[in-house]
Parts: sequence; C-alpha cells; structure tokens
Amino acid sequence: MTIYLSRRGFCVGSALIGFQAISSGAFAARTEDGTIKLGLVAPMSGPNARYGAFSLRGAQMATKEINSAGGVGGRKINILTGDSQGTPVEGVSATRRLIDQDQVDFIIGDVSSSVTLAMQPVVEDAGVLLINAASSNPMITYKAGVGGFKWTFRNYPTDENRALIVLQYAAEKKGFTKYAVLSVDTDYGRAAIEFTKKYLPRFKSQILTEDYYKEGEVDFRSVLSKIRDSGAQAIIMYGNADSTPIVGRQMIEVGIAGKIPLIGNAEFNTASSIKAAPKALEGAIEAAAWIPSYDSEKSRAFVDKFTAEFREAPNNHAYVHWETVHLLAKAIEQAQSIDREKVRTALSNIHYASAVGEVTFDDHNQARLPMILLEIENGKPAIKGAYSAEIDYPK
Amino acid sequence: MFYTIIEQVVNGIVSGSVYAIVAVGMTMIFGVLRAINFAHGEYYMLGTFGAWVAIDYFDLPYPVAIVIGVVATAVIAVVVGNFVMQRIVGAPAEAGVLATLGVALILQNTVILVFGGGYKFFSGGYIEPVTLFGFTLAEQRILIIIIGLIVFVGLELMVTYSRMGKAMRAVSQNIECCAVVGIDVRHVALWTFILGAALAGLSGVLTAPVNVSVYGGMGELITFKTLPIIIMGGLGNVRGTFVAAMILGIAESLVATYVGLQFRDTVGFATLMLVLMWRPHGLFSAQARF
Repeated sequence: MTIYLSRRGFCVGSALIGFQAISSGAFAARTEDGTIKLGLVAPMSGPNARYGAFSLRGAQMATKEINSAGGVGGRKINILTGDSQGTPVEGVSATRRLIDQDQVDFIIGDVSSSVTLAMQPVVEDAGVLLINAASSNPMITYKAGVGGFKWTFRNYPTDENRALIVLQYAAEKKGFTKYAVLSVDTDYGRAAIEFTKKYLPRFKSQILTEDYYKEGEVDFRSVLSKIRDSGAQAIIMYGNADSTPIVGRQMIEVGIAGKIPLIGNAEFNTASSIKAAPKALEGAIEAAAWIPSYDSEKSRAFVDKFTAEFREAPNNHAYVHWETVHLLAKAIEQAQSIDREKVRTALSNIHYASAVGEVTFDDHNQARLPMILLEIENGKPAIKGAYSAEIDYPK
Repeated sequence: MFYTIIEQVVNGIVSGSVYAIVAVGMTMIFGVLRAINFAHGEYYMLGTFGAWVAIDYFDLPYPVAIVIGVVATAVIAVVVGNFVMQRIVGAPAEAGVLATLGVALILQNTVILVFGGGYKFFSGGYIEPVTLFGFTLAEQRILIIIIGLIVFVGLELMVTYSRMGKAMRAVSQNIECCAVVGIDVRHVALWTFILGAALAGLSGVLTAPVNVSVYGGMGELITFKTLPIIIMGGLGNVRGTFVAAMILGIAESLVATYVGLQFRDTVGFATLMLVLMWRPHGLFSAQARF
C-alpha cells in the first residue's frame, strides 16, 4: 500500500513539475521580444518529408540572409517549425501549437493542399497571417481574400493554370488525344485531374483509365499493365516526387518506358528522379512553378548558394520557401511594423521582384505567377516556355 | 483479356510472396507468444535500412547488404526479445499489444532521428527486366519468389524435424505442458521472435530494390497489410498464412486492374471481414486453436 501511494505521489509530483516547465516556457516565449516569430508548417516526417526538409532549408537560408544583413527594421527573424506529416490532422495541431504555445506572428505552410485547406480556418480564427508557398489546389484562393478567408495568401501558381498548359502542350505539340490518369489520392492530385477534365473537350481528348494512388504506395505494376493495354498515349500524373522513381522503374518493368510518357507534375525534372529510371522519364512533360535550371540572375544565384551550403541542388519547395520568406520580410519592411493587419495590407499592395518575375496579389490573395513548362530531353529538362493564365474565379 | 488476367495473377503472386515472408514471422510469433507483434513492420524497415546503410555508406555489393540487413535486424531482435518479448510470455493480451506498439514507436522514431524522415534512394539489387513465359518481370522479383519458396520449405522442414521446431510447435499448443516436460518456454519464445523478425528483415531487403524508397515509416503499411493475412490464415498457422498471402496479393492485383488503384488497400480488410463472418478462426483451421 505504501509503495502504491508513493508511486502515485511520484506521478503527481512529476506531472506538477511538467506543468511548471510548460507554463514557465510559455511565459518565457511571451516576454521574449525583438524577434519576429515565423512559424513554418511542413511535412518534416512521413511520405512527404523530403519536401519538408527542402522547405525548411530554403526558409532557413532566407532567414540567415535577412538576419545577417541586420534583420527587418532591426528585428531578427526566428523560425519555429511544426510537423504536419503531410496530413490535415497533424497540420492543424501543428498550426494550433505554433499559434497558442509559440505565439508566432506569421505562418508559412503547408506543402500539401489538403493540409493548407485545413489550416485556413484555424489561422482565420486566430487572426494570424498565413502565406502559403507551395500548395497548388485552386480552392485555397477561391476561398481567400474576397472569397472569405482574409488571412490566407498564396505565393504559388495553381493547378488550374497547370492543367491547362500541360494539356495544351501535349495536344498541340505532341498530338496526344488519349490519356491514362495516375494521380495521388489527395486534394492536389484529384483537383488537378478535375481541372484537366474541364479542358479535355477543348483539345478533343479523352481519359481512358483513371486511377489514384495512396501516398506511400509502392506497387504500380497492376495499374501500369492496365494502362499499357488501354491504348493511352500518355499518363497524366499529378503526384509526389517520392513516387516518381518507383513508377518510373515499374514502367520499365512492364515495358511502357519510352513508349508512354508521363505528363503533369511530380518532379520529373530532378536529377534523382531521372537517375532512377532514365528510360521512363525521357519525354516526360512537366509544368512546374520553378526549376533549378531556370534562367534568371536571381534564380542562378539562389541555386549556387543553396548548393554550396547544403551540398545538394535545391528543389522547387526550397526555392518557393526561400522566396516567400523574403517576400514576407519585404512586406514587414513596408508596413514598418510587425502588426499583422498592417503587414497584411502591405502584402496586398506589394510589388516584389521574384526570381521568376514580379509578384503582385489579386483580390483573392493569389499571387500572379507563371508556370514553367519543360520536357525531359536526353536526360535533362529543357524549358519550353513560361505561361501565365488569368484565373476565372467562380462567381 | 485472358492474358491480362494471367499477368495480373503473376503480379499478385509476386506481391503475395513478399507478404508471405513477412506474415509467416508474425504468425509464428503469435503462435508462441500469443501476442500480435504490432512492431513487425518495423523489423521489415530495419532490414531495409541495414542494407541501405551497407550500400550507401560502405559501398558494399547487394548480396553482402542482404546479409548485413538480416543480421542487423536479428541483433536488434535479440535486444528487444530479451528485454520485452520474453516478458510477454504468459502475460495478459493487452500487455503484448501495448509492449509491441511501444516498441514499434521507439524503433520507427529512432530510425527517423538517426537518418532523418526523408525518403532514401535504394540503389542496390537486380532491377533489369527479363521476359519469362511472355511476362516481363524485374530479376529481383524472380529472386523474391524463389527465396520465398525456399523460406517456406525451410520453415516446414524445421518445424517438422528439428528439435527447436518441435519445441516451437509444442509451446504454441500448450505452455504449461511444455514447462512440465522441461521445455524452456522463454528460450523458445526468444528464438521464435528472433527468427520471425529476421524473416521480416529479409523481406525488407529483398523488396527494397523494386520499391526504391527507404524511409522510417515504411513498416506501418506492412504491419497493416500483414494483420488481415495472419488472421485469415488462422493465427499461428504457417501454411495457412502462405495461402492467405497469395490470395490477398492476387485479389489486390485484380482489384487494382478492374476496380481502381485507390480501392486496393481496402481489399485486405474487406476480405478479412468476410472471412471473420463465416470462419472466425481463419480459412484453414478446422476449429479454433486458441
């Protein structure tokens, strides 16, 4: 009995100590001053962890640049991270933790559209400014600005634009009319296909088979054999980069590599994807927000610096997060305050010179940005042009 | 049409072989410990990581990496077996569930802490496609089927003829009687566990070349694929597990072809529910053993 009691005493005691630690930690966070607390929600673990790692490195590099140049108006930026694991549930709790415990002023996040869509109402309630840097589902800004959520901005082009230009290039330059769909089963993968379907009649094209894979899927043989027998001329794939090497290798196995190209977006252009299955990725067509070989001075400087610092070439997510931190810093500078409302107003009126062109926001808080179209030729991405499209918001 | 079906059945047999090697370890562990090993997929992951480290850090050839992956898994299994699994013998069922779930979390997160959460690229193995009876398969998949068969024949021989194998069967039938006739139950439990974990590690190393990506959370999916298989096969039943794994592999492959890839992961549990409705003790046991 005495042992039981002392155990209970121990448990209660340690719980109290734990409580004290938490509350004193929160107190410390509140009294700390002078720094700008920037929350970064990204998939640090799980199937999209690679994206999270790149996002964090991009953001960290930007912060380092800003802080070593004296900060924003004398204030240093401090990044606090939240791991969304690429799932809405974890993303929302990471966002809540950043807002409630870490008391961040601004949040950048997430990569996955499903997570961003779930984060929007959370930041809206808290009145914390969310700038998305990497989600492409059109709904995110359909619902932002005059569409409803006042605190969400997006500095990334949308899938509506992407679906159209991919289809246009495939139809006009390649003469494709029959497609198979193999997309990831998320808001990103499904919405991209929905918008593809919207434009199919314009190019007199049709979809013969339609499949969606779960993140983390490793066996595509069955579905690829089906696609081979269906008579499709190309596979429309909107997926995550980590599935691309697997799909590529299994395309070689079922004998469609080099015959049926992949089109869409799933990091077909990165060296590691091409290395995993060179034959399958030859001829792949992709529309991306940015690629490492993009030819502008600012872009080249970013690639060189990133590669020197992390001994790895940056991907799209590293770039967009680097650029978005700089964008936010500029907005804070123009607002001359870290007051969220002033920064929001500054952001709406900003003219920011990004590596791919000038960034301005429309009344849905959506950045006007081009998509870059590229094709893999002889194992290297060749840029075929950059296209912007006006977004036709539903009334 | 006919050709497509045959090809998909072959695809199913390939994935079934992988499931079978993982599941047989889990079902043997259940037979002896009466505990479902929720950490089983983690040993699959550890095997893959062992081989990945051997190839990526030490530039070793793939056959050596297979051995290193399996040995690394077995070593970790010795530690976990001694500290955790042995204590489960005779403990209530919830102790086994909690302990193995805890082990799963610890193993998974340790690997993520050490190597990072991102996907790693597994570069070893024999991925060149070959054509066999009109079907194109990666060489690695043929290797998987062959090793799968060897493992099952080997296990069958072991439990029938070897002293340890007989002891395993005895423990799975009646722990008290084993104690009476002088079988060291804890010893048998430990070795069964190590063997089961090493088999999971082996199947991880074998599938890594075709699955390409290696990451800390990869075991979870395997655990949840394996659960319905061992229940369908009849918990503790080695041959039943083999057949159930093949059924699941082939059913998944056909569903992916004729229904849609997005429905594939539901096959396992849907089949499981059907089986449990009509044969609650699994497909292959005449009566419930436990």
